[in-house]
Amino acid sequence: MNTGDKQDLSKMPGAAPHVALPDSVVAAYRTQGGDMDELKLAVKSDLAPDGAFGEQWLMINRQDLWVLDRHNGTANVRYKLPLDQITDAKVERCVGNGLLQVTVDQKPQVLLHYSNDLIDRFGRVAYYLHDLAENGEQVAVPDPDADDHRCLVCGRTLVDRSTKVCPSCIQRGKIFKRLMALARPFWGTLLGIVLLMLAGVLVDLLPPYLTRILIDDVLKAGAKADLLVWLVSGLLGIQVTRVIITIFTNRMNINLSTRFTSDLRDQLFTHLNKLPIDYFDKNQIGRLMTRVNQDTSELQGLVSQITGFALNIMLVIGIGAVLFTMAPSLGLYVLIPTPLVVAAAYFYYRYMRPHFERFWIARWRLNATLNTFLSGIRVVKAFAQESLEEERYHDRNQKVLESRLRVDQAWSRFYPLISFAFNVGGLIIWYAGGRAVLADKITLGTLMAFLSYLGMFYGPLSNLTHISQTLNQFLTISQRMFEMLDEEPEKQVETPVQQPSLGGKIEFDNVTFGYDPYFPVVRDLSFTIEPGEMIGVVGPSGAGKTTLVNLICRFYDVTRGTIRVDGVDIRDLSMEEIRRQIGMVLQTPFLFQGTIAENIAYGKPEATLEDIIRAAKAANAHNFVTRLPEGYDTIVGEGGTGLSGGERQRISIARAILHNPRILILDEATSSVDTETERQIQEALEKLVKGRTTIAIAHRLSTLYNADRILVLNHGRLEEQGAPKQLMENKGKFYNLVQLQTQLSSLDGVVPAL
Amino acid sequence: MTETQTIVPRKAFELVMLAPEDVRFEREGDTLRLTLSDGTHYPRVSLRSCFPVSGGPALLSVRDAASEEQDEIGIIADWSKLAEADRQAVSTELELHYFVPKITAVSKIKDEFGFLYWTVDTDKGPKEFVMRNSVVHYAREIGKNHWLIIDVNQARYEIPDVSQLDSRSQGLVRRFLLL
Repeated sequence: MNTGDKQDLSKMPGAAPHVALPDSVVAAYRTQGGDMDELKLAVKSDLAPDGAFGEQWLMINRQDLWVLDRHNGTANVRYKLPLDQITDAKVERCVGNGLLQVTVDQKPQVLLHYSNDLIDRFGRVAYYLHDLAENGEQVAVPDPDADDHRCLVCGRTLVDRSTKVCPSCIQRGKIFKRLMALARPFWGTLLGIVLLMLAGVLVDLLPPYLTRILIDDVLKAGAKADLLVWLVSGLLGIQVTRVIITIFTNRMNINLSTRFTSDLRDQLFTHLNKLPIDYFDKNQIGRLMTRVNQDTSELQGLVSQITGFALNIMLVIGIGAVLFTMAPSLGLYVLIPTPLVVAAAYFYYRYMRPHFERFWIARWRLNATLNTFLSGIRVVKAFAQESLEEERYHDRNQKVLESRLRVDQAWSRFYPLISFAFNVGGLIIWYAGGRAVLADKITLGTLMAFLSYLGMFYGPLSNLTHISQTLNQFLTISQRMFEMLDEEPEKQVETPVQQPSLGGKIEFDNVTFGYDPYFPVVRDLSFTIEPGEMIGVVGPSGAGKTTLVNLICRFYDVTRGTIRVDGVDIRDLSMEEIRRQIGMVLQTPFLFQGTIAENIAYGKPEATLEDIIRAAKAANAHNFVTRLPEGYDTIVGEGGTGLSGGERQRISIARAILHNPRILILDEATSSVDTETERQIQEALEKLVKGRTTIAIAHRLSTLYNADRILVLNHGRLEEQGAPKQLMENKGKFYNLVQLQTQLSSLDGVVPAL
Repeated sequence: MTETQTIVPRKAFELVMLAPEDVRFEREGDTLRLTLSDGTHYPRVSLRSCFPVSGGPALLSVRDAASEEQDEIGIIADWSKLAEADRQAVSTELELHYFVPKITAVSKIKDEFGFLYWTVDTDKGPKEFVMRNSVVHYAREIGKNHWLIIDVNQARYEIPDVSQLDSRSQGLVRRFLLL
């Protein structure tokens, strides 16, 4: 079917220009009374109703939603639902596919499945349907394929979403320019390296020339025997010079690549620091670590490789020129084995690399097994599973052995072939050159010199065969890094509303938010927190408690609705200002590498030592800190003194106290400590809470007994709010939660009932 | 039916087993409905195979799709023992939920810039997909010669037995998955 007889939907709002409805679908739609002019949206799924790859269409016009299935050129209407009966819509993830579900008459109904390729498309459709149900017809029709994951150059869908341009579209020239700009501080070094390399090439070219004189003028004729000692000394001198040049080139090379990449690492880190939190959600920490550490060090390796290429190019050209001028007729013979050498080098990459990779993977797995075993040794022993682990290790080790043997076998087959290719070249020259010598066309010395040059010619040549691969790798890595550098820093309003000190009033006005916009985590939240009020937030896990806190700190921007602090939209305030006024104590306290004093003063580096001690005292930390041999100078964090969970928590509370925020957030601050520590932390917190707006998230409801008000969240919605006492009397959700916990706690008899 | 279970899960830690005579499944379009013998009706349930890879589809978790957390209604020990109509309905639902095409032939694998571009035939029809070229992370050996391949969209493709593929496909798979 050609596109000419398809309905062009490009004029339709929301339809991607390339969407063309097949005739059969249009016909089926019309037969059932559908009007093409009223069509608002038509999207295709790539799965058939039976779950095989196929085609289904979802169409939305002003009154109805339609699902049609198309098979062998004919289309059938599967469903036709009046839009006003649809009260909600959402997508759900299955395995390898997803489904679109609508709610009709309070009953969920599955409309169709689609493969994982189309997750974004149907997510937008679901969001649109949800919007329609809530806000009626005036909702704008979205472009279901408004894909932000398309190559900025060619517009095709990106396979690698960590970059914005597909690899084949990378603008090589541009990247090189940027790299050159980055390398500007190293121009001098670079020039030095190039000069040294040239000198090295010249020095390399000399010995065969001297041997030629040695053979022709000294050894053969015997006339200038006294030259022998000079020539040999000359050769020695050349060797010494060569060694010196190599040492200096390598030194400068290492210097250049190391300094270049460490500069780049600094730039990357500085930029990372400015990026918004959702960047870190979208990019796993592991991937970012790779970006900053591995990519830069790989770049370092590639920089040296590329200078190596430069050297090889000079050698090939230099030696090639010498070979041809020395004996033009023999020069042509050099070219005969060249294809063989190039082919051999190519096959090395094609066939040997997989063998090596297999071996590396097997060895990596073996290491991983050992690592797991060692870190889990107590579990292994406790469950008496030594033999199982032994077997596992043995299996993996066997794999390493096998893959190593395969490498060696492949190498033993391959190596003779490649040396054969190199030797054939020599033999051809021996034959052709030998004949020339016999015919007195060239001297024996020329032939010998020629053969030495030949040995120096093929090595660099075979090295050059993977130049394009290395260059591509180099450019791809550079592109990835530039993209990270180009990533937009946190959104800030240009002229933030000046608010010297916050009062601490927080308003949520119809706030809806989802980390993934298609899956809202909090929905239509509205409430007000007065300055100085202490609010407890409770609810089962996944209810949106932590999300609430993230939104107040403006780690994320709301999808819909507004959050106001002291009557000002949080987006109009300066980010730094908000965060300066907010203090947080988290469930797992985070201590930075440094002394206890530095950690306490993290938010207020200008604090005096006395301030620090006062804060520690208020946080019930002073006593245990002074007991430590190094007191406040004790180094904590990675590689430092181990502190218990409760001790770390009290340090982080001291940090919050010193920070002296207007708004205090306690996120499960006491959930991971024993009862005695909890009491101490609780005491510390009470001092901290006084006079500030406090939002406390807690699992242990007993810790909220002095809250002014409790918000009960469930599935992202506010289900109940009120003073704890009042909520208990109402016997609602909160009452249920307390009852449940009292039952559980009566088992261990520690948590006092409310 | 969801009201009673939202905040305080009732006996969430107890395993509820559903006997074949307890359940009646029916499909309406793409929606699977369930009525229990005590008369409870669920307008939509979803199914999860407990051991989708190793144990076959026998042990099945039946969940209330209308509840936010898809609470479990119960477990069916062996769904092949269900009545014919129920079994049909369950089988179709599983087929739809677990979309893991089985690769029957590989016509091309292209390696470009760290990605493998596959052109394959599957039991669900021909398909082209892209996989990150990191065998360690995106190809898993789940049994002898039995491979699971995960593409850039987290879609899964299965090769039940590499040694049963035609020699050309086998050559390609062995070369690129480093077998």
